[in-house]
Amino acid sequence: MNCSPNIVITGLGAVSGAGLKIDSIWDAILHGRSAVSSISQWDARRWPIRVAAEVKGVDNRTLVEDRKLHKLISRTDLFGLYAADVAIQQSGLLAHRETLDAGATACFNDRSGVFAGSGGGVYRSNYDFFPALTTAAGNMETFGREFSAVVNPMWLLKNLPNNVLCHVGIRYNFKGTNACVTNQCVGGVMAVAEAAAAIRAGEADRAVAIGHDSPIEPETVFNYHRLGLLAQDAVRPFDRDRTGTVFGEGAAAVVFEQAAEAQARRAAILGEFLGSGCATEATGILDVRSDGDGLSRAIDFALMDAGVSPGAVGMIVAHGNGTRASDASEARAIRRVFGEAPPPVTGFKWVYGHLIAASGVIDLALALTALRQQIVPGIPTLNSLDPDLSPFPVSSAPQKPRGDIALVLCRGFAGMNVALVVRASATMAGG
Amino acid sequence: MRMTKRRRAAITGIGMVTPVGNDAPTTWANLLAGRSGIATIGGFDAQGFPVQIGAEVKNFNVEDSVRDRKLLKFASRSTRFALAAAEEALRDAGIRPDPQTGHRWACSVGAGMMGVTFRDLQTVHAFCGIDEEFNAAGLLDRKFPADPITFCRSQTNAGLALLTRHFGIRGYATAVHTACASGGQALGTALKVMRRGLADFVLAGGYDSMLNPIGLSAFCLLGALSTDNEAPALASRPFDATRNGFVLGEGAGFLVLEEWESAQARGARIYAELAGDGNSLSSYRITDSHPSGDGPIQSMQQGLTDAGIAPEGVDYVNAHGTSTLMNDRSECAALRVVMGKHIERVAVSSTKSCMGHLIAGAGAVEAAVCALAIRDGIAPVNANLVQPDPACEVNIVRDKSRPMQIHSALSNSLGFGGSNSSLVFRHPEDVPTR
Repeated sequence: MNCSPNIVITGLGAVSGAGLKIDSIWDAILHGRSAVSSISQWDARRWPIRVAAEVKGVDNRTLVEDRKLHKLISRTDLFGLYAADVAIQQSGLLAHRETLDAGATACFNDRSGVFAGSGGGVYRSNYDFFPALTTAAGNMETFGREFSAVVNPMWLLKNLPNNVLCHVGIRYNFKGTNACVTNQCVGGVMAVAEAAAAIRAGEADRAVAIGHDSPIEPETVFNYHRLGLLAQDAVRPFDRDRTGTVFGEGAAAVVFEQAAEAQARRAAILGEFLGSGCATEATGILDVRSDGDGLSRAIDFALMDAGVSPGAVGMIVAHGNGTRASDASEARAIRRVFGEAPPPVTGFKWVYGHLIAASGVIDLALALTALRQQIVPGIPTLNSLDPDLSPFPVSSAPQKPRGDIALVLCRGFAGMNVALVVRASATMAGG
Repeated sequence: MRMTKRRRAAITGIGMVTPVGNDAPTTWANLLAGRSGIATIGGFDAQGFPVQIGAEVKNFNVEDSVRDRKLLKFASRSTRFALAAAEEALRDAGIRPDPQTGHRWACSVGAGMMGVTFRDLQTVHAFCGIDEEFNAAGLLDRKFPADPITFCRSQTNAGLALLTRHFGIRGYATAVHTACASGGQALGTALKVMRRGLADFVLAGGYDSMLNPIGLSAFCLLGALSTDNEAPALASRPFDATRNGFVLGEGAGFLVLEEWESAQARGARIYAELAGDGNSLSSYRITDSHPSGDGPIQSMQQGLTDAGIAPEGVDYVNAHGTSTLMNDRSECAALRVVMGKHIERVAVSSTKSCMGHLIAGAGAVEAAVCALAIRDGIAPVNANLVQPDPACEVNIVRDKSRPMQIHSALSNSLGFGGSNSSLVFRHPEDVPTR
């Protein structure tokens, strides 16, 4: 494995209810300002679940300048394109490309990959067919005659799960290897892992990976609630009184490059990607194993892939979604790998909610800030650690990372578990 | 550069559920015979629609192969196709995950974008959609038949969840969606996972079913479908000058990939090697491909380079060949660039001429077709080619299937959104040069 290129991070972008910049989201975390508040997208005042971490008061044009594009994409895509743009601009890759001649530019484009993790299906997009259903009144022949009068001809394109992949390609003329992962919560982190793996395998020289989602809609909230997965007020990871998760929405993006190339063009290096691991528990759509089997195997794979021992991990950003089963098994998985004294653990869903397909990617972006600042932020919604999980190094107060490496965990439906390992750049220069 | 020998992927099992057969042998026999699976849509009343034809899977009963009733409650139509095709592929391979080996198995699937059934949508409409505005409170109505199983069934990775659970796959698992390229990209991911050493076995495939009122409407709105309602069997005619759109199909294709040396060691029958994966973005327009073939050119070149095969080594191309004006021209332009003078000799066909376009399932089913073509030494016919489009001048397998030695085959899947996948397959007795 030693002959593979090192992979560095030269661009990061994020948008969530807690802010449109990583710095502002970090600020919200440090000051305990949660973005969880009343749902505004529909009248939820009488709903059993009335809160989410929405991106509020942001004009669509702030997210994506090109108004014509708004007609061709959906809300989740706006977030994804915004985060990708922030990350790509920060990387300076476009300015670098300007300096290349025509042949080198074509090669640059063909060697630039795009990897998206997309929430995929949304329910509200189907409501565009409601007027036709009303007219048809149960008669399929009428429906077949009427739908084209009421539905946007571009309906399918507006709702493609791979829209962000497609439009990032078109906007920046990136034409290399690509994927759109629609693996629910772990879609974004798997896009990140595949982007890094593509560079390692020599399939691309650079790649942008994006996770994006907008799960806050009536049917999703209603059904998650029916399944007992949502809390009524706040996400309280690992807390004795945790009752579930809270939806958020948004996106995050990462630009990866070969270290040698990034150094040659004197790019600012924000971190290094060390490895990833992935395993399913084969438990079906909703269930998780109580012993943390899949997550502990994913962590083992990731550490092996990164070539680091458990003792070298300085901090852990847990999935910590606040549900009874997931948090309990997550704590067990962490102890299975790290023994009785794991490094400091935190989780960020209390601040920006659960971004589903974007969840682990935004956690990764903030983990790098945490490493740089040498602060493992506290979890203000944690009142009292679940005694069944004790001892476990989570705290409502800030902790200090043990080292310059972070482990980021992400879990989802289909018994999915993914672990990512990253290192902050500041220490790279010295080491 | 490489310190260790690159791991190779042997195709040792094939399963298919398609509009021309509910298993791989039937599908393959009908494709070779050029029999069409396209007919007037029977699954719902399509009389009012501008397009009334489709390539439906017929007389399919998932319980013929998968008998877990509890699991099947959570399985949508397309997931049922996937479960049946995967079961066939594993049975064909003669090996399957068990509690000792499950963690060395991966699962990589190209899954369709539609989770909500028309009936589910009608239910929500009845409670929330009668007025002009969507009325969210309708969901809270005591009479609303809230069924969490319906919701579970509609999740983007529900199929992956059921496959991994049913077969006991505990390693790397992924679901991808790049529209019509999904199946190809899922197999490409499977190859990479094998090479990275993350798994010794991969159950890989694609599945889809958009043959419902919403799916059909969506493609009708784009004007992408053939409207030849009177002659369904002739409607899909890739590369013909009179072609006028694709025919929407449904189904699933699954392959079992095994690490080459261990497959040989256990004496497995190897259909072919999945030898290369090429993957590019056209970055041109959402629906259109560049007339020059830019995009697919790179994916084919990468796939061949990855496999260590020169263009002259390719004997058969299973084209994306949707039968739309634009795709077929652009794909042929790309083929001419990649193949150079060899274009006269390489046999090209689109099996979509018989089974329509399986969307997220297409790339996986067509990969299975390439493996069978290599094993049997025969290129399946491109049906319905009567008047070749001069702009599509390539060596198309016309009139009947063509017996020929196939050392290497290439399969293209080119998706809406510009994702291009080119998979390269090698005869099991050929030795890789890379």
